[in-house]
Amino acid sequence: MKKENTPDQTDTNNVVEDALDENADLTFTRRTFLKGSVAVSAGIAAPAYLAGISKSFAAASGPVKIGHIEDLSGNLAVYGVQKDHAAQLAVKEINKGKTLKGGPAGSGGVGSLSNYAVNPPVMGNGDKDLKFVNDGGDLSGSGMAFVEDEDVLIDSGESGILGREVELLHPDGQSSNNIWQQLTRKLIQEDKVDCLVAGFTSAEREAIRPIVDQFKQLYIYTNQYEGGVADSNTFCTGAICEQQVIPVVDYMIQRFGPRVYTIAADYNFGQLTAAWTRAFAPVVGGEIIGEEFVPLSVSDFTTSIAKIQAAKPDWVFTLLVGSNQSNYYPQAAATGLEYPMASTVNMAQGYEHRRFKAPSLDRMYNCVNYIEEIPTNRNRAFVKRWYEMFPDDPYIGQMAQNTYFSIHMYAKAVRIAGTTDQEEVKRAFESGLHLEAPEGTVFMEPSTHHCSHYIRLATADADHNVSFVREWPSIQPWWLQRLGVNLVRHKEYKQYIPDEDPFFKG
Amino acid sequence: MELDPLALSLIYQFGTNAAFLFLAALGLIVILGMMNIINLAHGELMMMGAYVATIAHNQAGLPFPLAVVVSFFSVALFGTVLELLIVRRFYGRELGALVVTWGLSLVLGQGTFLVFGPFMPAIKIPGGSYSYGSFSFSEYWLVLIGISIALVIGLYWLYRYTKYGLQARATMQNAEMAKALGVPTSRVYTLTFSLGAGLAGLSGALLAPTSTIAPFMGQQFVAPAFITVVVGGAANVISGAVGSSVLLSAIKTPIGMAFGAFLGTVALLVAALIIIRIMPNGISATIQKLMDRRRAASIS
Repeated sequence: MKKENTPDQTDTNNVVEDALDENADLTFTRRTFLKGSVAVSAGIAAPAYLAGISKSFAAASGPVKIGHIEDLSGNLAVYGVQKDHAAQLAVKEINKGKTLKGGPAGSGGVGSLSNYAVNPPVMGNGDKDLKFVNDGGDLSGSGMAFVEDEDVLIDSGESGILGREVELLHPDGQSSNNIWQQLTRKLIQEDKVDCLVAGFTSAEREAIRPIVDQFKQLYIYTNQYEGGVADSNTFCTGAICEQQVIPVVDYMIQRFGPRVYTIAADYNFGQLTAAWTRAFAPVVGGEIIGEEFVPLSVSDFTTSIAKIQAAKPDWVFTLLVGSNQSNYYPQAAATGLEYPMASTVNMAQGYEHRRFKAPSLDRMYNCVNYIEEIPTNRNRAFVKRWYEMFPDDPYIGQMAQNTYFSIHMYAKAVRIAGTTDQEEVKRAFESGLHLEAPEGTVFMEPSTHHCSHYIRLATADADHNVSFVREWPSIQPWWLQRLGVNLVRHKEYKQYIPDEDPFFKG
Repeated sequence: MELDPLALSLIYQFGTNAAFLFLAALGLIVILGMMNIINLAHGELMMMGAYVATIAHNQAGLPFPLAVVVSFFSVALFGTVLELLIVRRFYGRELGALVVTWGLSLVLGQGTFLVFGPFMPAIKIPGGSYSYGSFSFSEYWLVLIGISIALVIGLYWLYRYTKYGLQARATMQNAEMAKALGVPTSRVYTLTFSLGAGLAGLSGALLAPTSTIAPFMGQQFVAPAFITVVVGGAANVISGAVGSSVLLSAIKTPIGMAFGAFLGTVALLVAALIIIRIMPNGISATIQKLMDRRRAASIS
């Protein structure tokens, strides 16, 4: 349906005057036609290194289809609904002519294609008004530099993408891998979606990835996960081990001491994250004195708690997943277990600090790329927009934010490519794309198809108030680079595991 | 004599593990053990108990023990309605009951999800903790162990010494004969099912503070409940359930402590497998047989 070189280019560039006009009918006035032509000429002026990206303003008709699968029923629905709402919010904003700031990084010229060029990060006004917060998150004379930024949602200059309305197809995965596979086939083969955004557990992702690869479907996996997926068709926008585990382990060892006890969910996420911890703790002077893997069905933690008490660690690394396993926190608190805890998954997705009575999560340190409480203007604006659309939602989690910015990133990539042709859009994703997400700046690293993230260390106190003790404005997804993965030059379709890296041996 | 802290901790863990298995199985003891209905909605009945207790305690401000009592009666009432409308059509049709209760569990879980959302705010675990050596113990779990023992005695008394108990045992053994002797069997069935549902609600409420209050929370109890009841056997469901929860906990606790939760769970499942293999009718049937043999020996 693409590359019919019909003369009605204007159709795709039908820039609707009023960004809030939802009924983007395809008739166009002279004025919109002119605006469209401007956009076309801007496209033609693209710099040389993007020359390979075709500017075929093909007269694709009908809406741009984004397929989105998450679990809206069953055991995993407690997380899936958040992500589904995130997708709805992003699509609504795109259709209302909004976009997140950002574009290809590094060259002002390219930014014009994606509407806005990049601003370099600024800390305060020069050096005079630099603000600091202390460990508790309060303003103070010294400590962590801190800057209030502005909202990042801006006008895109068109409603929808390339003048076409965006349609969200979001069926229910029902927490069942079989249904995920059926739905993936249906979305790709019947609905012919332009982009697939899907996946909560690694098992769900691995269930559908072979189908994605069979049809060379552009696929975005938005969950935080164990890392290692090197797949030419897949783009991973969630944070991974090197971005979360290393900062938090480093901090906890400095702050509380070297003796670490890991209690982790017994499946690939927990096992591989524990492997990262095992490999990395000695580098920063730590020592794993105990490790326990708990099956996902276990919900009574008496014995695990006694084992931790027998081991007497300085702090506990909890990598527990799912609603059964979050029982650990109230049970440990009731037993009087008072070790500091660290995690990469809790609070920011299952909002344990809101659900459980204080002080169950006292001294819990969480290394996340997003948490609803991030005290920046851009995040407060995002949270406000969210609750205007979904006033009854209980919480906005880490993965929900990932889904939200990923769909905006897709819109940006399509505008750069000038077409929804999936191969072209994949190349646009590989053009060094950056985006101002609610968490902060994210950058789609071209060679590994993973994102750099703005990582924060959030902690809950005895009253479950959240504050931020450290932040790392940009942590690269470097592990696949270390293994020599370069998807731009060599196509791959696999998931690497830590055993393939000598660093993890022994 | 000073008790070794580790030994005390093991005793405490053994008690909590056994109490957890027993409470998870409580409602099912009556519904599967006595009525022989494979109730796959057991977990959802427990979930309802937890929700009622949470709402009664957190929103209506009732003290927690009262909230537990409210849960028992609310879920028992729901059980009565369920029995009258649906379950009574499936007596004697075990597979039909299995499918219909499975459907019910899906409807109840997803319905709760749609009405109440993904999570409810938790109930704070009542009581504090004791420490001894490097170990510490939750007071609430100690209370739960006590309540489990009280429930065993209460159930035994109910079925051994009350008129309802006699009628219920007669009905479950031979409904036709009981009916001929003037037992209102249909009412006994309704009462027994609603008692089972109420007990599931009660244990759901008791376990609520220790767990996440979520629509699908019931599923975590289903497997331990079925294992406990099936291993216990049907000859005498109450002694069977007590025997199996004690035995399974005695296997799970030391192995879990030495080798971790994963192997602890594996040990529990393997033990259940072996017990069912060598005692196909469950622990209670074996105990019954031994007692009969001893009685026969003493007579002769």
